Amino acid sequence: MKSKLLIVLRKELRETLREKRTLALLALFTLLYPVMIGFMMHQLIDKSTKSDREGIELAVIGGSKAPTLMAQLGQKNIVVKDTPPMEEEAIGELLRSKKVVAVLRLPNDFIENYYAMRPARLEVWFDSATESNSQRREVTDVLEAYGANIASARLLAHGVSPAALTPIQVQRYDTGTNASRSAMLIGSVIGILFFPAFMLGMSAAVDSTAGERERRSLEVLMAQPAHTWELVGGKWLAASVLAIVGVTFELVLAHLILKWLPLEEIGMSWSLGWGDLALVCLVTIPLSLLAGALYVALAMNAKTFKEAQTVLSFVMIAPLVPGLVVSMLDLKTAQWMYLVPMLSNQTLVKELSKGGDIGALPFLLTFLCSAIPALVVVAIASWRMKSERYVLAV
Amino acid sequence: MIEVHDVRKKFGAVQALGGVTFTARDGQITALLGPNGAGKTTLLRTLVGLLRRDQGSISIDGIDPEKDPMAVRRNIGFLTDQFGLYERLSTREYLTYFGELNGMERAALDKRIDEVSALLGMEDILERRSKGFSQGQRIKVALARTLLHRPRHLLLDEPSRGLDVMSTRALRTALSALRADGCCVIMATHVMQEVTALCEDVIVIAGGITVAQGSPEELCRRTGITDLEDAFVSLVGTEEGIA
Repeated sequence: MKSKLLIVLRKELRETLREKRTLALLALFTLLYPVMIGFMMHQLIDKSTKSDREGIELAVIGGSKAPTLMAQLGQKNIVVKDTPPMEEEAIGELLRSKKVVAVLRLPNDFIENYYAMRPARLEVWFDSATESNSQRREVTDVLEAYGANIASARLLAHGVSPAALTPIQVQRYDTGTNASRSAMLIGSVIGILFFPAFMLGMSAAVDSTAGERERRSLEVLMAQPAHTWELVGGKWLAASVLAIVGVTFELVLAHLILKWLPLEEIGMSWSLGWGDLALVCLVTIPLSLLAGALYVALAMNAKTFKEAQTVLSFVMIAPLVPGLVVSMLDLKTAQWMYLVPMLSNQTLVKELSKGGDIGALPFLLTFLCSAIPALVVVAIASWRMKSERYVLAV
Repeated sequence: MIEVHDVRKKFGAVQALGGVTFTARDGQITALLGPNGAGKTTLLRTLVGLLRRDQGSISIDGIDPEKDPMAVRRNIGFLTDQFGLYERLSTREYLTYFGELNGMERAALDKRIDEVSALLGMEDILERRSKGFSQGQRIKVALARTLLHRPRHLLLDEPSRGLDVMSTRALRTALSALRADGCCVIMATHVMQEVTALCEDVIVIAGGITVAQGSPEELCRRTGITDLEDAFVSLVGTEEGIA
């Protein structure tokens, strides 16, 4: 005779997978996160390496009026693109297309003013909404240096030391590295990596408990010769299996994408091997089981599908909180983190991605900190299911 | 054989069952009559061990459903007032699910599903998913589920509601066959014709208390009224103070 738990499990899975909406949702969340992570990282790597490779592009209108300036821009690795005279709108259009960081316009009276030693006007057009601040600063630095040079030459001609013009000299040092900037990023990537464990089982858990109650089929089911732990267990495993399959698939996909991306370019690393990944997938199984257990235990108390969904939406957010707190407070990895479900998985991957041996204990703790609560929750749910209220309040 | 003695059940301040006593014998169809809210559904739920009684004793073939609900349920077919179908499962899958839950082997189960669906005349909906079924089709599927595992006891809550003439006849034939097999059938109903045509024994409950038990003829004789419906109203009315 087949186990009744397996009978319930198989029926719930079959029923859930028949609904197209649920299937689409499962596929979406399984694929969405790795692709989203991949896209985000790719953009970031692309952007951060672009300026080094290609230099800064600057459109110049009337550049022939100041050949020295053009030469100085060239020395600073700024590519000058000679551009015919343009109207205001055309300049705005050019800046919005992001092909150049700024437009430098030399008005027609530039030469005249220059020789007459009147302040010669130079126009810099830029779009402050774009993120090329540092590149723009380089351009203005060159312009200022150019102006200072001319001033010095003119003062010298009048027998004044140019040093009189520069009572102070500011030297800027930037100690920010790519690595420190990307630490935040990898934290957030790992943070959402395990979220699908809490997303994927929800619909099945709600449908097989609150949904069944709403459709009035729970009473019939409870009148069958099956123990409540078999019914609850079957529904729990059905919800969890979906999450386990989805999360495993998602982790593998994310692993492939992160391995493929040139993360070194932005000072990040993803040095997990396939063996590490298999272990991570294994210790993530209890996380999905815990999510399924919590959902079933809570949703079976709701009388309608809608009520259950509202309650579970709060539960879904909860596992993200410890990870957020840790990253906000910038806490160093400590042993206790391996005792908090979800946070333990995040910490584990964070440590593994840095490379190096962390031993077996973190894996074991991560596994147990979800597995034990999951079993406890299912046991409580099975025990509560015996209560008359689930029969009466249908 | 189902023996019930002085069963009482309270929900908060509401006394749902205030002392129900009866015996339903094997090989007989026992009608359970009572006005709405008399406690029929509560009584049936108590018999399968879904609800715990506060007082009294229940014995189903000698087993107390509170002590060993699994053994009792294996031998009971329970048709609730809700059908409990799953819209995304076909009738065959639905029946297979409940057959397996009752511990039936797959081969025997397949054969039995064909038997039951022939009995109730529902071969045409066997491979269809229950979404969009009519009331009559739904109750047929639920009835098929009730009969599937050849239970010795049947608890049917208004089994003929929503059935057309042909299906009602099919149901009667099925019930007669079960009686001939020696099953113990308790049928809650509001249709007096059905009681007269099918049932050997009638239990009348009102306000959670059994007010009478006996054959339809006995009940008529006791009240001195020839029509069963009038006799029922008189039984319920005299005890309850409502005319």
